[in-house]
Parts: sequence; C-alpha cells; structure tokens
Amino acid sequence: MSALVQYLITGISQGFLLALLATGFVVIYRVTKVVNFAQGAFVVFGGFITYSLLGAGVPQGVSEVLAVLASAAIGLVFGAVTILGKMTPTASLITTIGLAILSEAVAMLVWGTVPLTFSGLSGHDLHIAGIFVQPQYLLLIGASIVVLLVLWLVLERTYVGKGMTACASNPYAARLSGINVKAMGLLSFAIGGALGGVGGVLITPLFPITYDSDVNLAILGFAAAIVGWLTNPGLALAGGLAFGVSEELVAGYWSDANQTAVALALMIVLLLWQSHRRQQVEKLV
Amino acid sequence: MVLSPAASGPPAGDGTGEHTPLLSVDRLVVRYGAAVALDDVSLEVGRGEMVALIGANGAGKTTLLNTLSGIITASSGAISCRGRLAHVPEGRELFPDLCVDDNLRLGAWKAASRDPADVYELFPKLRDLARRRAGYLSGGEQQMVAIGRALMAKPDLLAIDELSQGLAPNVVQEIGRYLVRLNADAGLSVLLVEQNARLALELCSRAYVLETGRIAAEGPSSHLKEQPAVQRAYLGGHVAT
Amino acid sequence: MRFLRSLTGANLPASVATVVIGAVTLILPMMLNAPDLITYVTIGLSTMVVAGLSLLIGFAGQVSLGQGAFYGFGAYAAAIMALHGWPPLLALVAAVAMTAAIAGIVGAVLLRLEGHALAFGTLALQLIFLSVLNQTPSFTGGAVGLTSIPSLTIGPIAISSYRSYAYLVWVVAAAVLVVSRNITRSRPGRGLRAMATSPAAASATGVNVVSYKLRDFALSAAFAGLGGAIYAFFLGYISPDAFPVMLSIEFLIMVVVGGLGTISGAYVGAAAITIISQVLTAIGTAPTLPPQLPNVLSEGVYALLLIALLRFVPDGVVGLASRITKRLLPTRWRPVAGHKVAPAPAPGRVVLEDAGSPDHDAAAADPGQGTSPAREALSRPLTSTDG
Repeated sequence: MSALVQYLITGISQGFLLALLATGFVVIYRVTKVVNFAQGAFVVFGGFITYSLLGAGVPQGVSEVLAVLASAAIGLVFGAVTILGKMTPTASLITTIGLAILSEAVAMLVWGTVPLTFSGLSGHDLHIAGIFVQPQYLLLIGASIVVLLVLWLVLERTYVGKGMTACASNPYAARLSGINVKAMGLLSFAIGGALGGVGGVLITPLFPITYDSDVNLAILGFAAAIVGWLTNPGLALAGGLAFGVSEELVAGYWSDANQTAVALALMIVLLLWQSHRRQQVEKLV
Repeated sequence: MVLSPAASGPPAGDGTGEHTPLLSVDRLVVRYGAAVALDDVSLEVGRGEMVALIGANGAGKTTLLNTLSGIITASSGAISCRGRLAHVPEGRELFPDLCVDDNLRLGAWKAASRDPADVYELFPKLRDLARRRAGYLSGGEQQMVAIGRALMAKPDLLAIDELSQGLAPNVVQEIGRYLVRLNADAGLSVLLVEQNARLALELCSRAYVLETGRIAAEGPSSHLKEQPAVQRAYLGGHVAT
Repeated sequence: MRFLRSLTGANLPASVATVVIGAVTLILPMMLNAPDLITYVTIGLSTMVVAGLSLLIGFAGQVSLGQGAFYGFGAYAAAIMALHGWPPLLALVAAVAMTAAIAGIVGAVLLRLEGHALAFGTLALQLIFLSVLNQTPSFTGGAVGLTSIPSLTIGPIAISSYRSYAYLVWVVAAAVLVVSRNITRSRPGRGLRAMATSPAAASATGVNVVSYKLRDFALSAAFAGLGGAIYAFFLGYISPDAFPVMLSIEFLIMVVVGGLGTISGAYVGAAAITIISQVLTAIGTAPTLPPQLPNVLSEGVYALLLIALLRFVPDGVVGLASRITKRLLPTRWRPVAGHKVAPAPAPGRVVLEDAGSPDHDAAAADPGQGTSPAREALSRPLTSTDG
C-alpha cells in the first residue's frame, strides 16, 4: 500500500512537470502552429541555471526566479529564430529540432555530462498516508497548480490573453484588427520557456537532470499535449498527470526499462484514436 | 510603393476647398509569382463618400483590400490614405471561440478606447448577444459583429468585402441601411466591394468595375447602371461568378 | 547541340554535371585507400537513406525522425538472418522487405496526423527500437550487439573487400536515386507535391493523399533498411550504439544541406555531413581537449548548420548551385524556367499555383521541370527524358 502511495506521489509530481511542458507546447502551438521540439530544453536550462546561480552564492528563491526569467528569455530567442521571417511550417519544425540539439550541445559544454541537482525546499519530510514525503514534492505540485492557474487566468480573462486566443483562432482577422501576430507568437514562446523553466526549477531537486534529459521530457510532454489536441490546456494537464502516474506505476510494478516504451506506445495509441475521432468530425463538416 | 502612415487628418471634409481624397490608389500592381492579380489599378474615395467596387470572383477585389490593409505588398504603384482604414473581411472572419463583446473589444487593439458602447448603440441586437460565442451567431449577426469590430478602430474609411455573401436579402438591406446612416450621420467613408452590383450601385453614389485585375469602368452609379455592358455582365439576371 | 538537348532533356548543364560526377565517383574507389574507402561507403549508404527522406519531406511534407530506426532495423534483420544461416543476399532482400512492411504498419497509423505528430511519433519509434534492442540480448545481442556477420555474396561473387563494397554501394545508391527521381517525375509524384501544399486541393482532384504518403513513407524506410543491411554486411559488426537518435538527426541535416525535396541533393548532403563529421571528430579528439568536446562540437555544428540553412539557404547546396549557374550561363543554355512556362506539359499534370503558397519547397524543388541544373547534375542517370 505504501508503495502505491509512493508511486502515486512521484507519479503526480512527474505528471505536473509534464503538464507544465504540455501547456508550453499548447500555448506555442495555438498561436504559432509550431510544435516546439526544444520544449524540453527549457526544463534543462531552468534546472542548470538555478544550479549555477546557487553555486555562485545567489540566495535560494532568487536563483529560481532568475532561472525562470532566463528560460523565458531563451524561449523568446528560440521563438525569434523559429517564426520570424518567411518560414514554412516544415522549416519551423526542423528549426526547433535544431534548437533542441543546440541546447544539448550548449548544456554539455557549460555543465558537462554528470547529472546535476541542488537542494530544494528544506525541512522535515512530511508524513502522508503512511509514508514520508519530501516537502519538495508538495512544492512541485503546489507551485505547478498556481502557475497553471495564473496562466489560465491570464489567457482567458486578460485583454492580451484574448488577443493571443484571437491569433490562435484566426490570425488573418487578428492582423486586420491591428494585432501583431508575430509579436504574439514571440510572447507565446516566452511563456513556453517560462513554463519549462518552472518545471526545471521544481523537478531538479528531486530528480537530477542531464544535458540530454530534454528528449524524453519533450516526447512525453508532447504526448500529454496531444491528449489536449495540442490546443486544450485542461486536457493537456489531465494527459500529463495520466502519463506521469502510469509511467511511475509501470516503473514500480513492472520494470524501469519499460516505462518509456510503454508511455510511447500509449502515445501512439492515443494518436491513432485521435485521428480516428478527427476523421469522424471531418465527415460531419 | 508608398502607404502613408494612418495619421488622422483634418476632420471630415465639407466638400468645399481642395479635393483631397481620403484614399487614393495610384497605378497599383500586385503580382503572385508570375501571375498579375492587379494591373495598374487606380481609384479614389473622398471624405464622406460611399464608393463601390464591383467585380466577379477572382477579379482581384480581395487582393486589393488586402493590399490596402497591408497584408499584401504591392509590386509597384502608390497607396495614400489620409485617415484610418478598417477592413471588414470577406466571410466575416470572426474569432469564433470568443464572445461578441470580446470580438468587438479586440477590434480596438490599436484604438484609444475599448468601450463598445457606440457599436451597441448602432446595432442594438448585439447587446443581447454580447456574451454569446461568435461562432454560434447567424450570418447577419456575424456581419454586424464584423462591422462593429472594424468600427471599434474608429476608422475614417470602412472597406467591406462581400457584405452580401451568404446573407438573406432582407438582412443585407438592413445592414445596408445601417451603413448609409453611418455615412450620413458620422461622415464615415465606405468602400463597398461587391459581387452584387445591384446592391452596390443602390447604396453607393459612385462605383468602379474591376475585371481581371483592371478597372474596366468607373463613374457615378446612375451612369453605370445604364451602361449596357455593365447591365449584361452584372445586372442582367445571370450571376457572374 | 539540339541532339544533346533532346538526349538530356531541357537541362543541359545539369546533365553534364551528372555525367561528370557519376564518372568521377565511379573511378574514385580505384584510387582510394582503406580509411577513405570506408568514408566512401558511408557516404553511399547515407545517400540511399537521404534520398528516401528527402522524398518524404520535400514531397510528402512529412518530417520523419525515425530513419535511423529503419536503418538499424534493416541492419539487424539482415544480420540476424545471415547469422542463422540464410544466404546473405536473401537476408538482405528479406530485411528490406520487412523494413518496408513495418513502416507500412507504423505509417498507416502515424500518417493520418499532421507533420509534427509524425516527427514525434517516429522519434518515439526510434527510442522504442533502441529499447527493444537492449532488452532482447538473446536475440539481438543486447547492448553488446552482433558480431561475425558474414560477407555479402551475390551468387558466386563474395563481396568482401572495401573496394568491392564501394562499387556495390555506387550501383545501389545510383539505383535508389533513379527510382526516387522517377517517382518525383511521375504523375503521382506531382500529385504528392500538390498535396503537400494543399491537401484540400489535392483531394479535390482525386489524388489519394494518404496512400501516396504511405507509399513514400514505406519507400523511404525501405531505402534506409537497404542501407542498413549493406552496412551490417560491410562492417561485420553492429550494436545499438551505431543507431542513436543523433543518426536520424544527421540524416535530416543531410537532407537540408542537400536541399529539401531535391533527390540529387541526397548525395551532396551525405558527402558534406560525413566529411564534416570526420573533420569535427579529428578536431575534437585532439589529446589536450576535454572528452566531451567531440560530441559538443558535432552536435553544436550540426544544430547551427541546420538552423542557418533553413533560414538562409532553404533549398540547400543544390538549390544554391542551380541559382548560381543560372546566372552565369548564357541564356541559350539555361534550363527552361519555372514550372508554369515549361513546354509541352504532360497531360494530366497538376499545375502548381505559386500565389501566396506558403510552402516554398514546392516553388524551389520541382525536378520534373529541370529548374535546377545542379540538382539534375547530381542525379545518377546519364540520360533523362523530360516530362
């Protein structure tokens, strides 16, 4: 029983990480129609930059915030490279692939190949449902919820947020209304970067990351985003949690090595089901 | 090509003094690759005028409007607009997942005030629909929202593409009356781009005829109505496609 | 002059370049030594993979990150069968067929979705492939891999020396390029192109979009599997390390370097990246430098190359070369310009409108019209009829 609770808590935390990633995918895709392959890199940068700042003596708390801002800035740069100028969708996609590789190279260069971590929320382990849980887990879950909630409010309730939705649903009309669609695209990339950065900052104390952590994260984050058809953040959140928990359960009850394969197989099944649904919808249109 | 910055010029003209048109398009040429979409197009819209641009599908009407709003870059020629231009696109092009009120407010992206009160006063029906998602409205209601959205930018010139498309005749008439009222009361200039020549010539005092990228005819509506060529092509019973 | 033109189609400079390059690469193996021959073979094998991938991306608009997996699958399939006593040639053919079959199944699932889903799906495929390899040591040798793979024998001829593999690879790569080229020129090829720019338009004209995508996907996988199978026989030893995710990325970069959608660019891209990769390795493994530098260098350089090319030279080396030659040539010898003005269009050809077309690939890469002499130049056949 306690093992199950353990897996669930780990799974839910991983799930929120994936949800942050997935939301990043969704925000970027909605506005720019680009799938950002480099989404996982923001997690890596968020974690590594925090590590370096802490190492340089910047206080706990400040480092994390700075790291998130830095990730947002990196996102902005990635966005500029990806969508500014005349780029076809294919070219943009491949560009984000290139950016992901570049991120790995830079990460390897600056931080080396050894997994890095830093201490997160200090304090005694909490006693929950029969097991001891590090407070960092709760921070991860709590902070993720807050961040996602704030983001949702911004997108749904603020003028700029609605402007982004407008760009997402009808870029032509948005342009006619005077909205700078490219600028909105850059903003979405910055948001994606920030979301990834938050994820990195929160997860690294629990699970050390390396320069190539981005690939697995990107794939699973994408899988979660797919649950939301790449456009629905709520479903993406659900997808993230589902993938996070199932991964942990597979790792716990079956085998560590299989967890990725199972998750990926799940994703493919999901894609298949979704395409079936879409075809049905298209028949009605 | 030159697009003058949309600075707000002097207030709506009174017809006396120099004739400086609000919008003047001079020998505009627009190319798609090797094909020429607009060939040496020149036209004018004066302050307080309602001008029609009549043409069949594929004549280049939408291309012209897209060039006026800056979506497309011309290959040569000049556009000069001494005021703000708002473009109501063909097919309404609303933001379907946002409510009517949001759609209107977004039209004011570049304007000083985001308050849609004036639009609700013009189109009272929209008040009841303010919270309804734009995708769920009828064609006529959507057209009103589209026009309202454009009006939120406080334009001096309203360019409307295919007002009548997909709308029942009585709805079109109703909206047409709104436009005439806007023009008469507020001095709003209108460029009505239409396949439906009858409607266009009815509402507007002056018209141009665009055929395969060229201005084929122009003049006061009353004159154009009489021209046999125009009658045959656009008014004579068969629908030009 | 006119005779030559009729022989080679509208694109004389390209055909001349083709002959030259074909001849040069044919005699090259005689002059190279062992280490260079390995490079030669590697380039040739990569060419096969890249031709298929270029077809897939440039014409079907589908970005696949799984060519490394198909390459590896072909290698493993052929190796396992050969080690179990199958005649090597049969193993090779069977491996290619199996790779195509797997791709057909996977593709039927993944191709219904838009491009980005395919990219992630094929990447996932690659990861699953590697995972399976590591998990089935009894069958695949696990992390250690398979050794002592017998040499390829075609009938009574044993292909065992580097030089003979070089010639074999030349022949097979040439065949692959020809087949790819013919596909792009045939009516389905053009239909595919129309589809890449506008699925709605394509389906309106009756082009069966999904089946062409699937065919291209399976074909590109088959080419990759073919390359992989030959690789297994050539090297005699394979392991999961030989087929990392970076391999798929490398193939992608080769496509971009050569020119998205060009077939002849496959060779250029393969050669360029293989050579660059070796240079980088040489630089990076100098004794005084940190151990991870080679990887950083190669990944970094690849990434920057990819990003820069996509932005500034999207039609690749071949496109660039064709633009340059077009400007340098006297008008008489220039290839017939643009697909809208080509003489005597073949009946039933889909005319591709350029108006505001978002897909520059369509505009830049239509080999059927001979717009790019360099592109034509580097494709294999010495004679080609237009249209």
